[in-house]
Amino acid sequence: MLSVVVAIGALAAYVLLLRVAVVRNHPEGYVVAFALAMALAALAVGRARARRWPAWLALGLSSLLLVGGAWFNFVVARVPDAPTVLRVGERPPDFALPDAAGRPVSLADYRGKKPVVLVFYRGYW
Amino acid sequence: MAELQGLGAQLSEAERAGVEIVAVSPDPNERSQKLAEGLRLGFRFLADRDLAVARRYGLVHAGGGPDGQDVPRPATVVLDRDGVVRWFSISRNFQVRPDPDDVLRAVRAL
Repeated sequence: MLSVVVAIGALAAYVLLLRVAVVRNHPEGYVVAFALAMALAALAVGRARARRWPAWLALGLSSLLLVGGAWFNFVVARVPDAPTVLRVGERPPDFALPDAAGRPVSLADYRGKKPVVLVFYRGYW
Repeated sequence: MAELQGLGAQLSEAERAGVEIVAVSPDPNERSQKLAEGLRLGFRFLADRDLAVARRYGLVHAGGGPDGQDVPRPATVVLDRDGVVRWFSISRNFQVRPDPDDVLRAVRAL
């Protein structure tokens, strides 16, 4: 029972707290929580005398989450390194892209006016 | 988006006026506009539909999308008033983004 709470709780907390940098930037936390849940379930399987199936179920669920979570964090989420043109102290190439209203905005528009925080993101994440 | 929300929440009014946050993604314009309105933050959302800019910057994760399409590598770049790069961070794991405190420190150091 405790195992299921730990596993589901870790998943829910991670998703809900994506906005909090400390939580978001330590995704290995949910992998650790799933491992803990699996250990608790294994313990429960060992200790249960009569009705053993709930403990086995918890063990199955937590091990699935552990494998899935580890695979996602260490394989799927990995971004391969590649050379970038960005260099501290240098001006990056200028560009012009349409804003939400369709007006072209270029990096040079801000030169001499405002500092810019340029964020490349995937859109849905 | 969680990253932009975090950054927006930590910027004071004055800082929001003094720095432009330019968010570039392959998202269609309409969707970015909705995001901007939902957040009620003065960000400029630019549509890099074909990833031409991400590619020129060396910020493409080939085949990294959910359907195997190319997607940008999440990156944050702080440019000073002269358009010179002062700080940047590129994610090695797409769940991980720079801490807003680090970004703000770079902005405040300008």
